[in-house]
Amino acid sequence: MNIAWWCSGTPGLVWTWRYTPFLGVWVLAGALLGGWRLAHRRAGRPIDPPAARRWTAGVLAIAVVSEWPLGALGAGYLASVAVLRWVVLTFVAAPLLLAGVPTWLLDRWLPRSSRRWAVVRAVTRWPVALLVFNAVMIGTHLPPVLEALKVTQLGSFASDLAHLGAALLWWWPAMRREPDRGALQEPARAFYLFASSVLMFVPSSFLVFSSLPLYGLFELAPPLWLGFDAQWDQQLGGILMNVVGGLALWVTIAIGFLRWAGAQERADAAARRDRLGHGAPPA
Amino acid sequence: MPAVRRATAARRAAGAVLAGAAVLLASCTPSTSTALAPRGLEAAADGWHGLPLEPGTTLPTSPLRTTDGRTVRLSEEFAGTPALLFFGYTSCPDICPIHLATIASAMTTTRTRYDQVRVVFVAIDPARDTPERIDEFLAAFDRRMLGLRGDLDEVGAALAELDLPGPVVEGPDPRGEGDLIGHPAQVIGFDATGAARRVWPFGARRADWIADLPRIVAEWS
Repeated sequence: MNIAWWCSGTPGLVWTWRYTPFLGVWVLAGALLGGWRLAHRRAGRPIDPPAARRWTAGVLAIAVVSEWPLGALGAGYLASVAVLRWVVLTFVAAPLLLAGVPTWLLDRWLPRSSRRWAVVRAVTRWPVALLVFNAVMIGTHLPPVLEALKVTQLGSFASDLAHLGAALLWWWPAMRREPDRGALQEPARAFYLFASSVLMFVPSSFLVFSSLPLYGLFELAPPLWLGFDAQWDQQLGGILMNVVGGLALWVTIAIGFLRWAGAQERADAAARRDRLGHGAPPA
Repeated sequence: MPAVRRATAARRAAGAVLAGAAVLLASCTPSTSTALAPRGLEAAADGWHGLPLEPGTTLPTSPLRTTDGRTVRLSEEFAGTPALLFFGYTSCPDICPIHLATIASAMTTTRTRYDQVRVVFVAIDPARDTPERIDEFLAAFDRRMLGLRGDLDEVGAALAELDLPGPVVEGPDPRGEGDLIGHPAQVIGFDATGAARRVWPFGARRADWIADLPRIVAEWS
């Protein structure tokens, strides 16, 4: 249906601040947390508290943006919340999940000789990962695609899955530490993340600088308050994508680069000490 | 070895069932809020986005009241100026505020003045739509929009003159704000002679109004 001739506030579509739990979100979150612990038990490995915290935080981030109210608001009421959900899935959940998987667990889930690893290795090579991530980001934010996905529940879920999956692929070369698993080393890692931050300007600029609301879905959604402006909501979404997403990227770049610079400095100092030690006259 | 293969196959089948169940469960999340595929109105061959009306309908002659208590007849009040007329109610959760917000923003974008195109909101819920509430409601979009009210018979008569059905109580508002009221969802455009020329059903977007407002000023004044 593209137009309506009769105004009939349909219960279920009108926004209310009444809590509506989404069972599926908690089942998925439980499965992810339980699966991770089960993998440890099966392998007879102790749980590493920092890794457990990262994995749990990643799963919680997914649950928070998928549950009411953010899940519902982002699915069909506010463009800014839709972008916020994407930002959290991409810049919070995905890197935390990747950082929460220890190397031995990765070896169990993706044995080097397995077909699964062959596929993952192909799609996590940095040029491919960068391409896939940006194609998914731009593709799923195109108005016809976004609106086609969001009008069905399965489509909404597929969209979230695509965002999280693309983000996992994209973060892989930057977050994993195993060089034989496609991990990038500094300064290539910083450049890789920098390239992504530049590409992110494309969709966010469309959101901020478009003279019209791009998404009819959000423009014609029941307003949460009187005088709601769809244009302002969209611009806020663009700013969130650019500022929050960009900030997360730059902080990651800075941390990685400073660590690398620190390591280089320590290595240089050690080399200098070695040279001095070798060149020193005997006492 | 067949036992190992059977176990592997069983594990894979269980995994597939679990994955399927997870997808189904996760799909129990919200999707669109409007249940409307919002493409907007398409431009017709003549360039208009609003849909043309058969000639013969004119501004209603039934008396209505402004929020300061003055009795007006639309047919007299708006003679000489194009007008956009919409029937709605201030507690409306979706279509009424969306229409008015869309028109207000397009008026701003196209720099159309409210003395060039009058925007009239007729309240169809006399019990809740007090003059103060109508003023407050319209102020959220633009104070220059005109709010009118009448009792149910007067509003029903105005709607009947336009061949439109009267308001219908449709059940409780899920927000707990009384009842939802069904009513015609279109904005009707009248030229300066008072003849109804075009309608914009719900689904009209800002871009549609931006395309049509300058033409209303240029061709209907």
